[in-house]
Amino acid sequence: MSIKPEKEGSGKSGWINLVFILFFAVVLPVGNRLGLFSINTISLWGRYFCFAIAALGIDLIWGYTGILSMCQAFFFCLGGYGMGMYLLLKATAQQGLALPDFMTWNSMTALPAFWHPFHHFIPAFLLSLLVPAFVAFVIGFFIFRSRIKGVYMAIITQALALAMYLLFLRNETKLGGTNGLTNFRSLLGFDLSASSVKIGLYGVSLCMLCLAYIACDKIVHSKFGKILQAIRDSESRVGYTAYRVLHYKLTVFVIAAFLGGLAGMLYVPQTGIITPGRMDVTASVEMLMWVALGGRGKLKGAIIGALLVNCLYSVCTSVFPEGWLFILGLLYVLTVLYFDKGFLGLFATLGRKLKFGAGAGAGRGA
Amino acid sequence: MKTSFQILLCLALCFIGRYRAAAADSAGVYVEQVLYPQQAGARSLAIGRLAVLQEPSVLPFLEAISSSNLYLLDGKAVTLGSRKSESEDVFTIYELYPSHRLLLDGHGQPVLLAASGLKPVEISRIDRLQLGAAAGWLNIFNADAQKRILAYTQLESASDTTLIGVLSIALKSETNADAYRAGRETWLALRLNHPADPPEARALIDSLSANDGDNTTAILRAYAKNGGLQRDVGLYARQKADEMDSQYAWLQRLQNLFSGLSLGSILILISLGLAIVYGLAGIINMAHGEFLMIGAYATYSVQLFFNNVLHVRDSDWFYLTALPLSFIVAGLAGLLLERLVIRRLYAKPLESLLATWGVSLILIQTARSLFGDLTAVKLPGLLAGGWQVTTHLVLPYSRIFIIVLTAGVVLSIYWLLFRTRLGMQIRAVTQNRNMSACLGINTRRVDAITFFIGSGLAGLAGCAMTLIGNVVPDMGQTYIVDSFLVVVTGGVGKLLGTIAAGLGIGVFSKVLEAFFEAVYGKVLILLFIMIFLQFKPRGLFPDKGRIAED
Repeated sequence: MSIKPEKEGSGKSGWINLVFILFFAVVLPVGNRLGLFSINTISLWGRYFCFAIAALGIDLIWGYTGILSMCQAFFFCLGGYGMGMYLLLKATAQQGLALPDFMTWNSMTALPAFWHPFHHFIPAFLLSLLVPAFVAFVIGFFIFRSRIKGVYMAIITQALALAMYLLFLRNETKLGGTNGLTNFRSLLGFDLSASSVKIGLYGVSLCMLCLAYIACDKIVHSKFGKILQAIRDSESRVGYTAYRVLHYKLTVFVIAAFLGGLAGMLYVPQTGIITPGRMDVTASVEMLMWVALGGRGKLKGAIIGALLVNCLYSVCTSVFPEGWLFILGLLYVLTVLYFDKGFLGLFATLGRKLKFGAGAGAGRGA
Repeated sequence: MKTSFQILLCLALCFIGRYRAAAADSAGVYVEQVLYPQQAGARSLAIGRLAVLQEPSVLPFLEAISSSNLYLLDGKAVTLGSRKSESEDVFTIYELYPSHRLLLDGHGQPVLLAASGLKPVEISRIDRLQLGAAAGWLNIFNADAQKRILAYTQLESASDTTLIGVLSIALKSETNADAYRAGRETWLALRLNHPADPPEARALIDSLSANDGDNTTAILRAYAKNGGLQRDVGLYARQKADEMDSQYAWLQRLQNLFSGLSLGSILILISLGLAIVYGLAGIINMAHGEFLMIGAYATYSVQLFFNNVLHVRDSDWFYLTALPLSFIVAGLAGLLLERLVIRRLYAKPLESLLATWGVSLILIQTARSLFGDLTAVKLPGLLAGGWQVTTHLVLPYSRIFIIVLTAGVVLSIYWLLFRTRLGMQIRAVTQNRNMSACLGINTRRVDAITFFIGSGLAGLAGCAMTLIGNVVPDMGQTYIVDSFLVVVTGGVGKLLGTIAAGLGIGVFSKVLEAFFEAVYGKVLILLFIMIFLQFKPRGLFPDKGRIAED
């Protein structure tokens, strides 16, 4: 992989962005009003946008910096649990109960101390974003400081994801154990089951996705982004030229975790449940798959991959539920073996071939 | 007319029995009546009388009635003892009355007879019900050792001192060591509640703790709590109980260490393959755990084949066949994977990680649709049970087998790598692929063989796993993350490191599990590994010199 100057935002790619935004911002909601799309479809796409935000984070750290982090789903869930705790406390207060149901079942008498900040929206919101970032900082500091990289990094983060998953399954973690957090009712006074609120959340997710994309685009095209790509291509040379590799890696790891947390926070009010199942080892690998399939090293690739795989998942599991794992497995293998650059790479190659074919045809005709 | 005569006769017999003062003799008459009733109601009456008499020598006979296990052999009452083997309908025989003993032939060997060759004595349910409350503890004379142990244990809470005599008789004819220990525990415990004087109580406490039964500490603590005969006797009992508890804690630690060794062995079996393959080809094989699953299902299929096609049951041959077969099947699957997928991904660890993850999804789903969600392999008879080091430390043969198997595998891999030409070639390709190719080594062939061996080892681990767990489609996933941690801790591609790290992590997690929940143990281990990697980022035994450079 070498550094190639990328010119994006020029005429053609600007059109694609516009069509994308127009379709999701106008066509889908209007279609819903006209009865073409059900409110569930809208809500589903809202969730896919959240996945796409998390995928952007992976693309930054994997696609641009070349660090295979296999615990993005854990950061996603940290954000999700933060929002879930706030929503659950509100729902409990509305029911006039002192404690959430699962705590009563586990015969707890008082709310654990770490739940208290989540009574109000602002601290809950901030914590949902800052806790994943902080955890990533601590983990990243120790991992990168000891120059763990490549395979070691992948395995350590995977083991971390597994350990955290097992930890969250326990009731002693006081986060609902296997059943997770559920039975949410309202967010900031809006009823979560109302379709207008669902469309609103869908809109917020879309806005956040656009903002995250713009921010990532800025990062990638800044000097900082160039150094990230330099680290990907030759870490030792970046070090020799007196850059502090640790700082760059740590920063991008924290940004990725932040995006993961943001995505999880947006995701929870739309699904109405968060369980440890969202953060098991498979979940993180699947997130990597979205990026690989869409085209890693391209921000649009991450978004397209996340939307496409999840769309496929919804279709396949309803048509032939037994076959989904076969399809997913095949996708992994085929993507890695044949479309190393993902869908975007595939389209680029196809486009070039078409142009070449047309040119050759014209040449022969003349 | 006839019936009333019988009743009279029986009553008369009863009276005669009473006045003869020697109850044993009358018991003999009743036993005769039960075996050869002269009239229709005589058997009922005789059983009723025997139940009231509770003459010790006749209790085994009553138990045989209670458990419908009464037969006639040469005119004598006998009962069936233990089965010779599971498949054959042949039993040892106990004589019941007047003495309770195992029947021996002329050479001092137990007599073995088929149940079909004996004449059963049918006792109606109503008659059996006459045994009433006694039926519970009569089980201490049962032919089945497990039932005897249960009956002995239940008697521990009894307060009836007359049972002490009954227990003495039962213990005299007791043959099973575990049952004898349980019976003696009960016998001592009952006597401890009514000792003559403090020295006797102390002696009883000593005997109890020397007997080392399953409930001894509970009995001693209960005795101490009730105050004992005297204050110091109670304290003595508590002190003995404490001593025993600390001894058990040590045994428990040994047991944990042993479980850790066996867990470590399995981790080594899995990680060895991973380490060799990574060292050679720079491949992170996420589907490696699925070769374990393939090995386990190969074992299961061999068992099905033996049971349903060859109709050989209760034979250990299936496992002996499965052991090499699981190695070969998993190895071939590995070879296929290498040809189809991995060959294109050499020296691209991160890409290979994703592709092989996909392969593992496909393999798991295939296994699920072929075999369903839960199957199990029967434990071979040879490996059932365990080595009883002391009464409370039992090391299961299956786990010992796994440890021995791993030791054998490790030794052969070492021999292969360092004492054969192929091993030298593998090491050469691992160090420098291009240079090896230049020197005329067929690297493709070396790759294929290495992959075959690596995957086969995982298959062997799967075969071993069937001894201690169920066979499920995603069994490989349970171990894959752990074995990757082993590889990382040991230093990627390092055999010695893999072995040390496998044993270390296995033992460590089991020892931690003794103090914390399994989950916290796992988290702690991860924490230790992260701290360890701060100081040794390239694992336990890093390369030195030029090879170490990126």
